[in-house]
Amino acid sequence: MHEASIVFGLMKILDRQAAEHGVSRIRWVNLKIGRLRAVEPQALVACFEVFAEGSAAEGAELAIEPVAAHGHCEDCGQDFEVQGFRLRCPRCDGQRIAVTGGQELSIESFET
Amino acid sequence: MCTTCGCGETGKEDRITIAVRQNLLEENDRVAAHNRRHFAENRVLVLNLMSSPGSGKTSLLEATIRALAAHDLKITVIEGDLETENDAERIRRQGVPAVQITTGMACHLDAQMVHHALDTLPLADIDVLFIENVGNLVCPAEFDLGQHANVVLLSVTEGDDKAEKYPVMFRIADHVLITKTDLFPYLGEFDPERARRAIGELSPDAPVSLVSTKTGEGMDVWLDWVTRRHGELPAATRDAHHHHHDHDHGHDHHHHDH
Repeated sequence: MHEASIVFGLMKILDRQAAEHGVSRIRWVNLKIGRLRAVEPQALVACFEVFAEGSAAEGAELAIEPVAAHGHCEDCGQDFEVQGFRLRCPRCDGQRIAVTGGQELSIESFET
Repeated sequence: MCTTCGCGETGKEDRITIAVRQNLLEENDRVAAHNRRHFAENRVLVLNLMSSPGSGKTSLLEATIRALAAHDLKITVIEGDLETENDAERIRRQGVPAVQITTGMACHLDAQMVHHALDTLPLADIDVLFIENVGNLVCPAEFDLGQHANVVLLSVTEGDDKAEKYPVMFRIADHVLITKTDLFPYLGEFDPERARRAIGELSPDAPVSLVSTKTGEGMDVWLDWVTRRHGELPAATRDAHHHHHDHDHGHDHHHHDH
């Protein structure tokens, strides 16, 4: 349940942002989570409900946008969507892959 | 004005979207970078050992400490477990310092816990710091501690398809040790080549070594790797022996917050 640690970080960001912008109520929180991260969205939501109690974000909806994994082949230049964790170029079978998407773990925005 | 319940809210209140775009692990990553700076200042090689519980991390460390005694490298260990001082005591019996972090219910070490442990360690007098993470093949993979490399253990009793099942962990491995190979005669079903292939799909550059702390098999390969990684470290980024006298720790931390 390292999701608890991640939500703890999220609450710190939200508290700081709410104070900075003079916001007393947060209704939506928009996150992006890449498919290559070991983060379970349902666990995040469950932790968030508990951690947000008593804060400006109490009762807010956590909107999680999953981000597909993408790779760029350093050998042949092919850009492709990574299926599962198969980090091989579908064109040349090369293994020198730069991951260009799917590692996101961020708060994009929140709505009052 | 809301007249239904008298809450005072105006029904046509505008929804405001505030853009943030921040990494949720930013705080951890900032402290990890800070730890990394301390390691560079003192030329300490830091290896993060991760595996399931019971894969043989502590046994590997005991054997490694005994073997490295001949290499004139000063070793220290940070132990992470939910409870007990047992592993740190096992390490101390080998004659090297060990700090136990008990995480309570946390399933992983984070950079802040390691930073806290560093306060009690004389970094200037350490060559190699092993961090034995909490036994867990999922959560520790997400938390940078400031280490130079990740060492992932997979014992032969766990099955040769472990990397396929836990790809996030094996993808970040810099060296994979297949441990307890002395048990091969009793376990017909573990195919080392299959394990190698699965790991190679995720971490093509990570060496995969077969080791047994009982028979000593493969320990030379592992020890060569550790001593080579230590040898490759750049020179200390500052005169380590003056570090604790000249450098105001508290002030420095505050400074890095911004």
